[in-house]
Amino acid sequence: MRSNKYVAMSILVVASATGAERETLAFVQKTCMECHNAKDMQGGISLAGVQHTKTFTQDRVIWQKVYDMLDSGLMPPGDAKVQPPAAEIDGIKNWIKAEFDRQDAAAKPFAGSVSARRLNRVEYDNTVRDLLGVDIHASENFPPDSAAFGFDNISDALKVSPILLERYLDAAQNVVRTAIFGPEKLKPSFTHFSAPFREHVRPTDLMKPYDLTGLSSPSSTHMVHRFPVTGTYSFKFITNGHRPNQSEPARIALWIDGKMIQELPLDATDLEGQFVEYKAKVEAGEHIVSASYINQYHGLPPSYKGPEPSKRDPVALVTVRGALTEKDRETFRKLGTSIKTDRIETRVDNRFESIDIGGPFEQSAGPSAASLRKVFVCGHAAGKHTNACARTIVSSFANKAFRRPATPAEIAKYLPLVALAKQQGDSFEEGIATALQAILVSPQFLFRVERTPVAKADSVPVSDYELASRLSYFLWSSTPDSTLLRLAASKTLSQPAVLEAQVKRMLVDPKAKALVANFGGQWLQLRNIEVSTPDVQKFPDWDEHLRRSMRTEMEMFFENIIRMDRPISDFLDANYTFVNERLARFYGMDGVTGNNFQKVDVTNTKRGGGLLAQAGILTISSYATRTSPVLRGKWVLENLLNTPPPPPPPAVPLLDESKIGVGASLREQMEEHRKNAVCASCHSRMDPIGFGLENFNGIGAWREMDGKSPVNAAGTLVGGRSFNGPKEFKALLTKDPEPFAKAVTEKMFTYAMGRGIETYDTPVLKSIHASLTKQNYRFSALITGIVKSVPFRMRSVTDKPLLASAKE
Amino acid sequence: MTFLTKKSISRRTILRGAGAAVALPFLDAMRPAMAAAAPAVSRIAVVYVPNGIVMKDWTPTATGTAFEFPRILKPLEAYRSDVTVVSGLANFGAIKVTGGGDHAKAAGSFLSGASPKRTIGADVHSGVSFDQIAAQKLAGKTALASLQMSCEDTRMVGNCDTGFACAYTNCLSWKDEFTPMSPEVNPRSVFERMFGSMDPGLDPETRRRRELYRRSILDLTMDSAKQIQTNLGTNDKRKIDEYLTSLREIESRIQAAEKNNAAFTPSIEKPAGIPLEFVDYIKLMYDLQVIAFQADVTRITTMLVGREGSVRTYPEIGVRDPHHPLTHHRGNPDFIEKVAQINMYHAELFTYFLKRLKETKDGDGNLLDHSAILYGSALSEGNSHNHRDLPLILAGHAGGRKGGQHVKVEPNTPVTNLFRTMLDTTGNHVEAFSDSTGALSI
Repeated sequence: MRSNKYVAMSILVVASATGAERETLAFVQKTCMECHNAKDMQGGISLAGVQHTKTFTQDRVIWQKVYDMLDSGLMPPGDAKVQPPAAEIDGIKNWIKAEFDRQDAAAKPFAGSVSARRLNRVEYDNTVRDLLGVDIHASENFPPDSAAFGFDNISDALKVSPILLERYLDAAQNVVRTAIFGPEKLKPSFTHFSAPFREHVRPTDLMKPYDLTGLSSPSSTHMVHRFPVTGTYSFKFITNGHRPNQSEPARIALWIDGKMIQELPLDATDLEGQFVEYKAKVEAGEHIVSASYINQYHGLPPSYKGPEPSKRDPVALVTVRGALTEKDRETFRKLGTSIKTDRIETRVDNRFESIDIGGPFEQSAGPSAASLRKVFVCGHAAGKHTNACARTIVSSFANKAFRRPATPAEIAKYLPLVALAKQQGDSFEEGIATALQAILVSPQFLFRVERTPVAKADSVPVSDYELASRLSYFLWSSTPDSTLLRLAASKTLSQPAVLEAQVKRMLVDPKAKALVANFGGQWLQLRNIEVSTPDVQKFPDWDEHLRRSMRTEMEMFFENIIRMDRPISDFLDANYTFVNERLARFYGMDGVTGNNFQKVDVTNTKRGGGLLAQAGILTISSYATRTSPVLRGKWVLENLLNTPPPPPPPAVPLLDESKIGVGASLREQMEEHRKNAVCASCHSRMDPIGFGLENFNGIGAWREMDGKSPVNAAGTLVGGRSFNGPKEFKALLTKDPEPFAKAVTEKMFTYAMGRGIETYDTPVLKSIHASLTKQNYRFSALITGIVKSVPFRMRSVTDKPLLASAKE
Repeated sequence: MTFLTKKSISRRTILRGAGAAVALPFLDAMRPAMAAAAPAVSRIAVVYVPNGIVMKDWTPTATGTAFEFPRILKPLEAYRSDVTVVSGLANFGAIKVTGGGDHAKAAGSFLSGASPKRTIGADVHSGVSFDQIAAQKLAGKTALASLQMSCEDTRMVGNCDTGFACAYTNCLSWKDEFTPMSPEVNPRSVFERMFGSMDPGLDPETRRRRELYRRSILDLTMDSAKQIQTNLGTNDKRKIDEYLTSLREIESRIQAAEKNNAAFTPSIEKPAGIPLEFVDYIKLMYDLQVIAFQADVTRITTMLVGREGSVRTYPEIGVRDPHHPLTHHRGNPDFIEKVAQINMYHAELFTYFLKRLKETKDGDGNLLDHSAILYGSALSEGNSHNHRDLPLILAGHAGGRKGGQHVKVEPNTPVTNLFRTMLDTTGNHVEAFSDSTGALSI
């Protein structure tokens, strides 16, 4: 439907219909028109207009759908009257595909266009960090960015509202003042976090190696907290539970982001209501705070047969708090109780009641040297600025903020603000602050506008500055650095060799983490792990530490693929992953201790490797209380194969509950879904994938049993291929690398371009995909392919209205 | 250039400079003399619960004034004279759209009666919602034209309901047919929107200067945005236009705020963020709406208790399963009971809102006397995604309306007729709205 430009460029079929074309048209009449005619329009599709061969070029979108439906086996549906033989269908498919190839080969490359692109939240934060050296997550209270095509950096979806503009004003004030004057002085406040109660079963054999950090034990507790400014904060852990009498003191530890900050001993048997506190300096930002018991089975009384038994005097801690007094001993003797010291308190169920974080106390005052250097580029010290300094400082900042040299007229607009401050009796720095704030709310900063003058040609190269912005926001979600700006100034950035070299450089720069967080975060929905809420009754093992560990595994895995330029097939199946002790224990692996992540080989494990073996992925594709084969199947189809299932038909019939006992296993209940042909048309695609992953429970732990029934992880994909268990399923998935490669190409292209895929992109995507295949699917080949493509380096002029065929 | 003029210190500035924030009652004497003679202003609020209701426990059997409050509505019995239960309305905006995506269809059409366009792209399209009709009429009278809130995290990325963009499930209010209004989820942000983010601890002179600089920045930005518009392509121009419109709204909001000069200090401290427990969270959001009405910061609010398709769990009432899948109970009595528990819980929490409105003085009565509050859902049976026979309650006595009734409407009455009633009773009468055939006389 969106092919006006397309028709203008393709070569129309001039001769009368060939034999193959006539066959295709006849096929359509015979097989499809029953439902897909102008009157019934089943599924919203009518093929009634198909009279002549022109329709193959004009209705490319519909014919692509026809091809996809035939290819996946979904059409003709199982209950249709006419069921052509497979060979006939293959012939039709081949002809359609050949038609597409012919059209694509003849098409002239067309760049498409992206309208003024507003910075999204992440881009705003990163840009401000790079411009001013201030990293305070200023976008925290911005309204959420609208997403389209699965990403929040799509130009046409990013709108401006009065609320957002107000927040921009506040954020600009906040970041600029922090850069020039230092962080805002905050009143201390307190955050109370109640630790959920978790069953704490003492191991029968205490000599068996256990997690000495205590971080994987249910006795530990974790919370994520955003610290508003760098400063000193207080941490108070209120404990609960018990330690046996005669034990060595409990060794409680405060951890921040998995690093131990301080050990805090607590000497008591009854821990209820006891507490330890500590004040520590913490950097601004989000951190995970953990409280754990170190070596919790060490130092117990000798009768517990644990490691390093206590050497304390048996009468040391008899009563609930502190040592026995003579009076207590009298009382006990009177009652006739003999003092069996180590039996008076015998439980080992130490845990935490809550964490209280207070602050900031003694927060860091004053601006950072780095920020001051970025702003006051005139080279003069405070109080010694000359008249020319305002202009120097403002132009330097504007050049960087606008991502291109600011014009004298633009700069002249901001200088009166500096004068205004002086007139009001404020300092030079206040004036500069006002001018910089104005720059940070200007449309030239907030929007990436491309204004390369357009000639008669359909596509023109964007300017080097515009290309620098496209590159940096693609790979770093941030503003171009000085190298990119320098290359742009010398007009050499667009040279192919320079472009390639820059891509290489940018991919190994730490800022490329943004590609993982933002592309990976949305393509694979990794971000959803932050808002997952598994039910702790069903999954007592779940806590913030596990969540954070899962996230780190996914991020390190992706980062490794970028850094080591691995083939993209690693996403589907790899023989390695990254774990810390917490995850290793969760996965049933031995030999990993401590909180640091390390690479492990997973070749001979039941779980295997790749995304579909990572607990984070398995958690986000489940419900709070259980797995959902449908959700997981949908996740794979949508994100790994870019073939999302079509929406359900209007009247989804209710299941006849009487057919199955209510106590049937989830698998059995799902089978009912597929007995009805209408339901089966979609569920035969989704469910088997989910079944293949049923050995992973709702938080990704391996299981052999689902409640009372053994897990049945066998299934049959559409097309008849069978498997049993996740490894066999993945083997089927990875046998043909093409569909995944195609899917990743499409997703990455959408993310890089900031617009949806159009019909005229098909040849471009094909050639990027081909170059990816030729280079053994190496990750950098995908990036380079996109960066060197026509759409990325060029733009076309069009005034056609906003947005696009959503690719379904 | 306007930014070179000095403005005189506002009363608000003096009050704030007078030391620690004191909770001031909203004194009538602080209103401009002209306004004292004006009739009490009316408020509109919409509170939306998702995924439908267990109707057998909601719909009273009797109609008229002598009806009983079934299980889910029981908490509202104490407010019998303040509420009208309305049964039988249908949401044709959703009914007319074929294909799946009923949650998006329901929320995306509810307050407008328009049929949402199926797309996951940015080209969303529905209709202007009735609350925004009222907001347009009240433009400039209050600091904020309207306020949209939600109690569910809207950060999930990905397609929200079978071919419909998340805007449809996550937003109730539509400024116009192309513009869904993204709600606030963070009570701190809501508070800052209402009372500004300027540090209340600043001395008056510094405040004055900061406000002067901000106004100057706005003036300058307006100028430069107009300039950038020349030589832009159509699509780019559109974007900058949006930006300019937003800029103008901020300027007029600042002017309106200075003109009205409420001199109101809220009775609660600025919230730190989203409370951990759901019950605390939703009560805080209700409190903020009450304060917004009390301070006349806005007269129109909409709030989603959960987004359509919500998968929130409610362990505090013993329901650990996610909400949406539960509503597809397929007749299982266990699941139905759990859904009913959730429905009851929501209704009970809603009475907190009614209580606060009723106990807050407003003019010659209380806030509930001068409000039209809608509570309910755009789905009745969640299991079948039914867009008919919607569960709805109209509370409040705006326009002198009396409560205490259960009204069953004629078959095929569009829900937009109820919105006409709400517009009429709050002094925002329109001649026509969407597919409405007239106001309901209730």
